[in-house]
Amino acid sequence: MTTAVSIDSITKRFDGTTAVDDVTIDIARGEFFTLLGSSGCGKTTLLRIIAGFLRQTSGTIRFADKPIDDVPAHRRNTGMVFQNYAIFPHLSVFDNIAYGLRARRCAKAEVEARVGQMLELIQLAALRHRRPRELSGGQQQRVVLARAMVIQPDVLLMDEPLSNLDTAMRVHLRAEIRALQRQVGITTIYVTHDQEEALLMSDRVAVMSHGRVEQIATPLEIYNAPRTRFVAGFVGECNMLPGKVAEVLDGTATVALGDGGRLAVDGLAGVAPGEARTVAFRPQDAELLPAPDDTTQGLHGRLVDIQFLGGTVRFVVDIGAGAIVHVAAQRRTGAAIPVLGGRYRLDVPAHAVRLFEPTAA
Amino acid sequence: MNGTLAAARRLLGFWPAVTAGMLIVTAALLLLPVFNIVGLSFSGGETAASVLDNYRKFFSEPYYYRTLINSFIVSISATVLALLVGVPAAYFVSRFQIWMRNLIRAAVVLIFVSPPFIGSYSWIILLGRNGIVTTTLAEWGIPLPSIYGAQGIIFVFTLHYFPFVFLLVSSGLKSIDQSIEDAARNLGSSELATFKNVIAPLLAPSISTAALLVFIACFTDLGTPIILGERFRVLPVLIYGEFVNDFGGRPVLASTLSVLLLVITTSALLLQRWYASRNAYGTAAVRPLTLQEQPLGKRLLAALFVYVLVGMALLPLANIVVSSFLKANGPVLLAEFTLDNYRRILGTIGRPLWNTIFFTTTATLLCAVFGTMIGYVIVRRPGRVSSFLDTIIMFSFAVPGIVLGVGLVVTYHHPPFSMTGTALILILAYFIRRLPFSVRSSVGMLQQLSRDTEEASVNLGAGPALTFVKITVPLLSVAILSGVLLTWSNTIRELSATLILQSGRTVTISIEIFNEVVNGNFGVASALGTVLILLTFLPLSVLFTAMGKREDALV
Repeated sequence: MTTAVSIDSITKRFDGTTAVDDVTIDIARGEFFTLLGSSGCGKTTLLRIIAGFLRQTSGTIRFADKPIDDVPAHRRNTGMVFQNYAIFPHLSVFDNIAYGLRARRCAKAEVEARVGQMLELIQLAALRHRRPRELSGGQQQRVVLARAMVIQPDVLLMDEPLSNLDTAMRVHLRAEIRALQRQVGITTIYVTHDQEEALLMSDRVAVMSHGRVEQIATPLEIYNAPRTRFVAGFVGECNMLPGKVAEVLDGTATVALGDGGRLAVDGLAGVAPGEARTVAFRPQDAELLPAPDDTTQGLHGRLVDIQFLGGTVRFVVDIGAGAIVHVAAQRRTGAAIPVLGGRYRLDVPAHAVRLFEPTAA
Repeated sequence: MNGTLAAARRLLGFWPAVTAGMLIVTAALLLLPVFNIVGLSFSGGETAASVLDNYRKFFSEPYYYRTLINSFIVSISATVLALLVGVPAAYFVSRFQIWMRNLIRAAVVLIFVSPPFIGSYSWIILLGRNGIVTTTLAEWGIPLPSIYGAQGIIFVFTLHYFPFVFLLVSSGLKSIDQSIEDAARNLGSSELATFKNVIAPLLAPSISTAALLVFIACFTDLGTPIILGERFRVLPVLIYGEFVNDFGGRPVLASTLSVLLLVITTSALLLQRWYASRNAYGTAAVRPLTLQEQPLGKRLLAALFVYVLVGMALLPLANIVVSSFLKANGPVLLAEFTLDNYRRILGTIGRPLWNTIFFTTTATLLCAVFGTMIGYVIVRRPGRVSSFLDTIIMFSFAVPGIVLGVGLVVTYHHPPFSMTGTALILILAYFIRRLPFSVRSSVGMLQQLSRDTEEASVNLGAGPALTFVKITVPLLSVAILSGVLLTWSNTIRELSATLILQSGRTVTISIEIFNEVVNGNFGVASALGTVLILLTFLPLSVLFTAMGKREDALV
């Protein structure tokens, strides 16, 4: 694997606040890499540093092992797709796509050929002479994508390119972008706050929070094995409950939570009895079962709400001591409906439970 | 090593170079002249005992300090009166169903752009000692108050400058949401109480800006008080007189007076900005205030008020056009149709007409180019240098034409420049005076434009200069063009700086009119005035019809 973009200990401070905090990422050639995080987490700042619109406070960016920190934005050879398209409203579709080639003083015939090829690729050849205002949002987004790709950039940078589109167009375009990217084999850094987009499109994802990288991994790993409490809460839904380690035996711990409840946790190292931990598991990993007579084992609670969502049903269970657990279940026609207010047992497989350091607060 | 090279390249980039260039230009044309008159005012002449001599002289002799008091009297009175008529007029036209509202708005624009000194002598034709109205009414035994002196100046200022208030309050009303008024009424507030307690406070920034503009315009106006003042002298008239007396020597006293004028206008500007910043609510209307249904009686009264006001303000303009076709015997016009006045200016108008158009056009183009670049630097490259540039541009609002004129003479009269009386100095004076217009219009537009589009261009490999030319300028073209038309209309009637800086070769139409008025050739002055009104109004009609601009684009 050759490194296309190497982000080496990048920090960016804006008077007083740290927007990007010592971030290090290596991105392979042809990889689709996503920076995922909520607004203000530093992902866009990092992207703009890579594009050269901002200068980092410290650290180095390399493209194919060449430092580019002192290369001005217009000589970096990155192709950027902006959140609000940034289409040139006074230029035709063709001239928009040809802009970067002309800025590079490409010969006329070459411009014609390469733009033509791009227009075929994005299936807008028929609209080459149209003005941007005559195009739909989705078409405009394809034009700016073509505009960024036609210059054969070292890296394609995409800043929430789909967030201004309606849901149907978004779903359609994210598949299209992924297909185009695979076809052209272009290294891509994609910024989004939409976890679904990130999981669906990426080879690897970096989850960011407060300027720091929380975890870099494949989408599957991010979802299945969140390394931090933040990642567990940000990607997918998660029950987060305060608990205390009761005993540790052969790598399996038992934690106490709620009012007298107990859960087994697998595959742990470095926890000792008596430590406080946050217990995390996904709603769909838990199962609601009739309560046995013996309630000293396992996790028990009272069903306080049933939320019917069509295909799935969510049960809200009060396990005592102010802790609430959500359980998601597939709804099969004819299945027995639990009784509101009844007591139930919660079954959570030991390998689906994760423990995190409790929050400082 | 690599790092310093890169740092050097960043400093020598396109925009740093442009910023440095703009700083030099504004420093040379604005800061240096102001600095020089300040220096001269403290120099005290040959027999000076103290650097404050000139100021002591000013404040100890009634002949001098009386003008300052007079200036305050007319400016404050005119500002108050302009607010008293302008605010209700704007409210009525915006909120009440008054007939011919669009026509009223167009008329206000016409009043706004017409040269103020034309209004003054037109009022002399109407209300002067031998005025048409005066003599007619005298025959019926009705005496009229005099149009000369303080009351006349206040009267003309009020009618000429109330459009500032009208236009700003109209646009202020548009930024108030209907729901705010509805909420007040719903909570039991009467119509008048709603205006007083809710609408008016929200208009405070608009009203205070308008008051500032009227005050500065009145305080620095030279033409009107010269024509109407007679023995009542205001500060700008004194400056002009002292300057003409000193010409060729060192205009020490004129500089001292200029500094006083500048201190007052700058203080007014700072005071208003402080007040407006404390009272800004930053409202944006989703649904602006709508027209109100009013009983017929109220509508009639409101309409009457607006018609009388606008009619009176339009009267001098109509009078100019009419009297340009009347036979004139010196300042006395006879009721006899003739084209004589036009025949008489035909031979002499060539040079001033050419000068006026040439100076105005060149200065306007310079404004467009430099103003757009400065606007770009202010919005897109924030930092200490750019906010300093912003401050200079704001300051140039406060520098009166006559002060700038004196400053430029003090700075560039002597070799190696010897620029007084040249076309260049007039063009540069017009340029620096109107630069804020084009800066502001491109700043306004740039703030609304996301910088993504320009960054996309840079990202695709176009450098900063190429991006500015190929992306920014086309995106700003509408703002630049409207800035051009506004600048042109405002520059073409410039009088006070021109009076100081012109020579026989560089005479403009404004100067010609002024000279004809001073010499009492009212017929010829009217013909020239009609030409000037046409030249002023032409670009505006393009702006409002072809470009679909609204009249509040003016202020």
